[in-house]
Amino acid sequence: MQELLKSFLGDNALVYIIMGVPPLIFILLYALVTLYMEMKVSAHIQDRVAYMRTGWHGVLQPFADILKLIQKEDIIPAQADKLLFTLAPYLVFTGTYAGFAAIPFSEGYIGSNINLGVFYIVAASSIVVAGLLMSGWASNNKWSLLGAMRSAAQIVSYEIPSALAILVAVMITGSLNLNDVSKFQEGGLFNWVVFGGPLPLLQKLAIIPFTATAFFILLTAGIAEANRTPFDLPEAESELVQGFNTEYSGMKFAIFYVAEYANMFLVSAVAVCLFLGGWQSPFGSALSGPIWGVFWIVIKGMAFVFFQIWLRWTLPRLRVDQLMYVSWKVMTPMLFVCVFAVGLILVL
Amino acid sequence: MDLATVIFYVFVLITLGSAAVVVVSRNIVRAAFALLFTLFGVAAMYAFLMADFLAVTQLLVYVGGILVLLIFGVMLTNRQISVDIKTGTVQTWLAALIVAALGGTLAGIVWSTQWNILSQPPAETAGAPKIGEMFLGSYLLPFEIASAVLLVALIGAALIARRERTS
Amino acid sequence: MATALKIYFTDIYRALYTVAVGLKLTFLHLFTPSVTIQYPDVKLKLPERARNRLYVNIDDCIGCDQCSMACPVDCITIQTIKSTPDVDLGTTSGGNKKRLYVSQFDIDIAKCCYCGLCVYPCPTECIVMTDVYEFAEFDRQNLLYNFSSMTPAEITVAKEKAKKAEEEAAAKKAAAAAAPKPPAAPGTPPPAAPTTPGT
Ligand code: SF4
Ligand code: SF4
Repeated sequence: MQELLKSFLGDNALVYIIMGVPPLIFILLYALVTLYMEMKVSAHIQDRVAYMRTGWHGVLQPFADILKLIQKEDIIPAQADKLLFTLAPYLVFTGTYAGFAAIPFSEGYIGSNINLGVFYIVAASSIVVAGLLMSGWASNNKWSLLGAMRSAAQIVSYEIPSALAILVAVMITGSLNLNDVSKFQEGGLFNWVVFGGPLPLLQKLAIIPFTATAFFILLTAGIAEANRTPFDLPEAESELVQGFNTEYSGMKFAIFYVAEYANMFLVSAVAVCLFLGGWQSPFGSALSGPIWGVFWIVIKGMAFVFFQIWLRWTLPRLRVDQLMYVSWKVMTPMLFVCVFAVGLILVL
Repeated sequence: MDLATVIFYVFVLITLGSAAVVVVSRNIVRAAFALLFTLFGVAAMYAFLMADFLAVTQLLVYVGGILVLLIFGVMLTNRQISVDIKTGTVQTWLAALIVAALGGTLAGIVWSTQWNILSQPPAETAGAPKIGEMFLGSYLLPFEIASAVLLVALIGAALIARRERTS
Repeated sequence: MATALKIYFTDIYRALYTVAVGLKLTFLHLFTPSVTIQYPDVKLKLPERARNRLYVNIDDCIGCDQCSMACPVDCITIQTIKSTPDVDLGTTSGGNKKRLYVSQFDIDIAKCCYCGLCVYPCPTECIVMTDVYEFAEFDRQNLLYNFSSMTPAEITVAKEKAKKAEEEAAAKKAAAAAAPKPPAAPGTPPPAAPTTPGT
């Protein structure tokens, strides 16, 4: 797609700007769908039905919700730092949106085809941390501040297991570029990295436990980075009101909301690209191609978004010490073992 | 002027503007947050120089690591004691002298260096693989020494943090 | 050391196991039919003798005021006018003869606490609980229900008539009182005063 645009417009910065538009549209549409899914899944898990009155089974409700948020009064607390308060949600969204640049939505479409791919996504998420801290401090509210602190501490500590888990996949595929990683997993379900990629059978069997562990930990760490239950301490309603976005309303709140949802998809998409073949079809060459690629990655990503929602309505919240315990004492050592074992298997 | 140049100057403006805020702002938390944009702008400069690995590392290490720690520290200390920490100006003349000397040196270096200007951007960026090879090849010793130093620092930090609790 | 390791791994195992159990449970609930009732479209059948909005069958009311007396919050206001012997107000469905015009029968349903105490004393069973419970209003005045079927004109006519009849009765009594006095033995109580209409 990039080449196509370049042939029309020449090698121009405009090409890159246009390349940035589809993820934005995707995020907005996806946020609506996920809003609906979240409500419906949460309701059905609790034997309720959720929205039923706006359109067929309430399908128009997300639009109504967004419309409501847009036209709501945008309140800035009198004692808040107005500049930082206004800037924070945009910064958070920017960090998440920037991550989408390195996600290959199909063989022919990747926002920015840089070598560093995943590494860049990990780095971009650090902008999110700064944005959260900014929102927490600027709100001038102790709950917001505590929420932001917790959130930053959580994201910083879970970045380590997620980086290590990424390393496991990168060691097998030999590339950081998610498009190359996806290409590497050509040839159906059993060539995905969770199943060891296109390695000889014996090596594959030896490697599966470690890749599976790494995948599982990457997903869990991703949930923690997206501040979702059971890792939603930054927004713990029962103790911190709403955490870092307590003081936000209207459009700015909506941006936080969209950023959270976008982050959910981002972590799922990274895990899918690294371990589950990205845009590759599970049936080898059947049902594959640029358009099917979009379908597959969105379906796989949404499956894990569903999983996150499902988990949210199943588990209670962890305690802070448990949160840190899981990251530092369980995930990180396990991943060191995984990295070591995978390296050993690959060398042998 | 094509779009890329415009974007370049936007980033230059962001970098210099926020750097000015870091220095001038009397609100220390704002200064810390302004540093975020400065570091971000510098990362963008690296990206313009086709040093993508450096750009991303800058973002990860400085914005994600050091800056977050800095903000943590500033936020925790700024409000806890009832007086706000303000940055004031003291010893203006001495400072001006040092700044002039430093600025002069930097300007002199910029002027006197023979910049190796390529007429075309390099076709392919060296990027991560080359850097990795260098780290594990010709520069293995410095790399290992640096990691040993960092390990010592980590253990020392842990020790200091622990001692308080036991006593 | 070994036990610490064992605890470490059993903890991890237990965490994963319990999460899996929880996930299975919620997943099954995803497909259990929901208990929600789509209220305005689907309504639950009310239990027999549910107490909701009051209704007064004014044609059966004899204006005895017992419901108003029983009401703990005084939300029923009744005014009656005595009828003259020449008009026939008809009978209630139970066969009782009606002797009073019910010129006003207001229930302030906003005050009503649905205790049902007004229903039991009614001799003609004309004040009843219905199963209507959707009667929210934007204006509180609309919750003041008027059950009387009389028009203002009818009320004036009835009032005048009653007044005249009363005056006549009073005059008659005065005449009777003015006539032979002696027969009235000292010590006997005076004849009962005519009941004033409406009390
Ligand atoms: S139900 Fe109770 S409160 Fe309501 S009118 Fe009858 S007696 Fe009064
Ligand atoms: S008790 Fe019955 S008959 Fe008597 S006034 Fe009330 S409604 Fe009418």
